[in-house]
Amino acid sequence: MVLSRKIALINLTKESVRVSSIPLDLRRTFLGGRGINMYLLSKVYSKTLDPLSPQNPLIFGAGLLTGTLGFGSRINITAKSPESGYLGDSNMGGDFGAELVQAGFSHLVVTGKSQKPVYLLIRDNEIEFRDARSLMGLDTVETQRRIREELGDEKIKVASIGQAGENLVRFASIHTGMKNAAGRTGMGAVMGSKNLKAVAVRGTLGITISDPKHYLRYYLSEKKKLMETKWVQALGKYGTPILFQYSNTMGFLSVRNNQWTTIGDQGYALEAEALEPYTTGMLSCFGCPAHCRHRYSITEGRYKGARGEGPEYASLGSLGTKLGNLDLEHIIYAVDLCNRYGLDTISTGSYIAWAMELYQRGFLDQEQTGVPLHWGEGEAILELLHHIAHRKGFGKILSEGSFAKKQLGKGSEAYLLDIKNFPIEMTDERLSKSFALGMATSTRGACHMRSRPSLDVLGLPEEVLKKIYGGPVSNQLSSYAGKGRMVWWHELFNAVTDSLGFCRFLTIFSSPHAPSYRQFARLIKLATGLNLSVKELKTAGERIYTLERMMLIREGLSRKEDTLPKRYFDEPVPEGPAQGEVILREAFDQMLEENYRLHGWNKNGVPKKGTLRRLGLDNED
Amino acid sequence: MRIKVDANKCSGCHLCEMVCSLSHLGIIHPERSAIRIQKDDLQTSLNTPWLCKQCKIMKCLDGEKDVPARERKKFIWSTQRAERCPFNGLNVFGEQAYHCDLCLGNPQCVKVCTSGALTLST
Ligand code: SF4
Ligand code: SF4
Repeated sequence: MVLSRKIALINLTKESVRVSSIPLDLRRTFLGGRGINMYLLSKVYSKTLDPLSPQNPLIFGAGLLTGTLGFGSRINITAKSPESGYLGDSNMGGDFGAELVQAGFSHLVVTGKSQKPVYLLIRDNEIEFRDARSLMGLDTVETQRRIREELGDEKIKVASIGQAGENLVRFASIHTGMKNAAGRTGMGAVMGSKNLKAVAVRGTLGITISDPKHYLRYYLSEKKKLMETKWVQALGKYGTPILFQYSNTMGFLSVRNNQWTTIGDQGYALEAEALEPYTTGMLSCFGCPAHCRHRYSITEGRYKGARGEGPEYASLGSLGTKLGNLDLEHIIYAVDLCNRYGLDTISTGSYIAWAMELYQRGFLDQEQTGVPLHWGEGEAILELLHHIAHRKGFGKILSEGSFAKKQLGKGSEAYLLDIKNFPIEMTDERLSKSFALGMATSTRGACHMRSRPSLDVLGLPEEVLKKIYGGPVSNQLSSYAGKGRMVWWHELFNAVTDSLGFCRFLTIFSSPHAPSYRQFARLIKLATGLNLSVKELKTAGERIYTLERMMLIREGLSRKEDTLPKRYFDEPVPEGPAQGEVILREAFDQMLEENYRLHGWNKNGVPKKGTLRRLGLDNED
Repeated sequence: MRIKVDANKCSGCHLCEMVCSLSHLGIIHPERSAIRIQKDDLQTSLNTPWLCKQCKIMKCLDGEKDVPARERKKFIWSTQRAERCPFNGLNVFGEQAYHCDLCLGNPQCVKVCTSGALTLST
């Protein structure tokens, strides 16, 4: 039974483990995954908690339904972020989460710091500390291979850091498989700071199901509907690169650090179809019927021999157009390099793009950077990737991420496009007002995935949108009307899906016909016996999101930090399909206030007393 | 009836393992499913589903008196039979082996597989 899965409190300093069960009440209020992670983190989160100190807990949390038949089987990794200095949280696919649940655990809370490099081995209710000295210096893929070899079990699933995490690069990620990453907010650096190289799991306990017959029947019928949506069909065929084409045609893309927002016809070179010749098949995360990731191999040319998975749209943009780099094979190779070093492709691309714009504008020269940082300079990009992962030369400065602002100074900070100390991504949101707002309010700093309000791109009738969002929402991408509501709705919804272990792509995201609260409630009931109404699920979403907000409030953040890079307000998109688009401050403020009001937060973005009370977060007051 | 496997198409989703154990035992337990996926998640070459091939001449029953037609319809088998299978087609977990009974004519794994890796052939 999923409900009997446990929390393990693991102290690396003392090499001790304490296991506790998860009270049903906690399940009802925070569900699991991201929700329970936030609950656990909030107990120790403070302004003075140093993200790289032993006190910062690194929390792994499988979703409530991870490992069962649902709409994904994901896991969240949460801690205070060394990259932004604020809330850190990242969601990872692959098979690791499901394996953890099969091994008897939903959550791991890792604190302390091991004296020597260590990895955790978790097998059917048992947790063991193992020497990881021989694994140090290995990349993420090699680490996984070696652990399997050492233990003689091919079925072991491993989440590990690469060299970047070991070297405390602030935007280091945690990986499982070839490319599944808890990429954002530097969770790999937190892991590295604890001298924890990997977590290996193998579970064979089985998960009993409350009502197997109806559960299977219900799942099959919902899965059938999902597979009939155009979105999932396209996703299964092309993967996320299909979004690249959309972004480019709309003028929604980051080009050369958001100085432009499209590459026009040159985009063909990076579209999903251009990837086809390299593709050897599609791969799924555990329990996913959509199979969105490409497996590829490059069989000739400079990068001959490269094999892997991806690249995702986010990486195509971040290591491609954002850097003025349109060489697809180079991007594939660079993405793989990041995955192996354990570097977040989005942040890595963003910091390099920042450096390139500084180079363009004469803030930096080759003497400082060691390599010529011209846009699209492939060799230089690879060189920098090596240097960042090993904290060498100019890479040492960039490995500090947004904290490098201090070192570079002299007005350079204006060219790092970040929100709450966290860089924006492969997109440019001046066209899409809902996305722009979502980036500004996201609880982990600039992030399109926290809300991902993408239903207004489909041109659906406004009646349909009204039904979904419970109030009027414009179906025009560039309209501000109702977007505060739209973002609010998705913020709660995604907090719920992340807590259930579901994938954005298999729930309401780009299809109004994809599963939503009603289907979630039914699946939870049939799988676990737990009765949770749609209303209770929505309230759980509110609770989780507002608790995240309260952690930011503890940092002293509020409305003034819910903003966008200056470029979005002051520089209209210079050309292309989104030409002239800019964010109007007044209209932005109105969206923001609408969003706060629906959350039950005051005009300054601080949750009201009544809201905290209603959500059972009184002690946050 | 037989289940045809096209390993090239398998995405490694493990859904077949989940529904196989769930529909027979009421539990999600890939270890106790008649079909197993060797997911090649680090090489990214092939994932390999494997299960009973429904041989006409059943080597697995050598030396037993049971009626093959009846045994075909059973899901839980002995580990000795798994040892006798020349194709390593059975999944062993603990004291038992798990044998594909074709869901008595309505294979659930084929139903759940969206990649086209599993199809029915008669
Ligand atoms: S046909 Fe039925 S018994 Fe055979 S492997 Fe598929 S689900 Fe299992
Ligand atoms: S359901 Fe199909 S694609 Fe998924 S693991 Fe089984 S055989 Fe492979």
